[in-house]
Amino acid sequence: MSVLWEGFLQGLKGLWTIALIVIPLMIVLEVAESNGLLQKLNRLMARPFKIIGLGEEGAFPVVIAGVFGITYGSGVIINHVRTGKVTRKEARVVGTFMSIAHALIEDTIIFWVLGAPLLLLVAPRLILAYVMSYLVYRLTPELDSPDGDNIDTTD
Amino acid sequence: MFEVTGKMVWKGTKTGLHTTWELAKVVVPTAIVVAVFRASGILDIITAFFAPYMGLFGLSGEAAIVLFSGYFVNLYAAAGSIMALSLTLKEITICAVMLGFCHSLLVELPISQKAGSPMGYIFLVRLGCSLAMGWLLGVVLP
Repeated sequence: MSVLWEGFLQGLKGLWTIALIVIPLMIVLEVAESNGLLQKLNRLMARPFKIIGLGEEGAFPVVIAGVFGITYGSGVIINHVRTGKVTRKEARVVGTFMSIAHALIEDTIIFWVLGAPLLLLVAPRLILAYVMSYLVYRLTPELDSPDGDNIDTTD
Repeated sequence: MFEVTGKMVWKGTKTGLHTTWELAKVVVPTAIVVAVFRASGILDIITAFFAPYMGLFGLSGEAAIVLFSGYFVNLYAAAGSIMALSLTLKEITICAVMLGFCHSLLVELPISQKAGSPMGYIFLVRLGCSLAMGWLLGVVLP
């Protein structure tokens, strides 16, 4: 019993540490979003994304995923593919980028709280995401014909 | 131009509380499981088994628990394990960077597939990045 109790307390202590950061962070994010900072970030990123073959429509899901997480980014990209705003190849480049670098704020905070250095938590993900996406962009042939990817556009 | 309203603060607080609750459901049980592992000696067995492999990344055998809970469950489970174990800051850093690339695979791989990138390919890319960076940091970090 004492082992379970000890683990429980350990967990609660950790949870408290995280809550002290997560709640203020969510307030800051909400304020930033309400003030249109996300669109500004998107504009700022336009040039570097051009290099890996992403136009504004392709860059948007990457920015969304980077800030809010892969689920949100995927939601946007699925919708973009369905409405023809991005090509399948672009979707592949976006998918590569956001699978490596997403939820950069939340994921970073978790380990930052535990003592890992901020720069090491963010920079390698962004750099490798960029490099891998560039490789995919250069090496993937155009994917216009359905090739068994079965992009599910029903939800 | 830049404005902060009570409504924004309230909405942010609600999101934060919701996130904290979601975390609680993972962090607390993980910490309990790891505490039981430790007390029952299972942790020692796992540690001894994985020690040689973890050495590649400059990690001790215990860190295998952190990597597995991160890869298969999520980062909060990994954080819960870190809290319940006694790793050095170097080990925490290496685990954190490795897990940044590759985590919550059971949930996120299907999401990637839905978004138009094959699961197997995304899995290889993420695990590859994770292992490569882990090895690099194990060599580079003091």
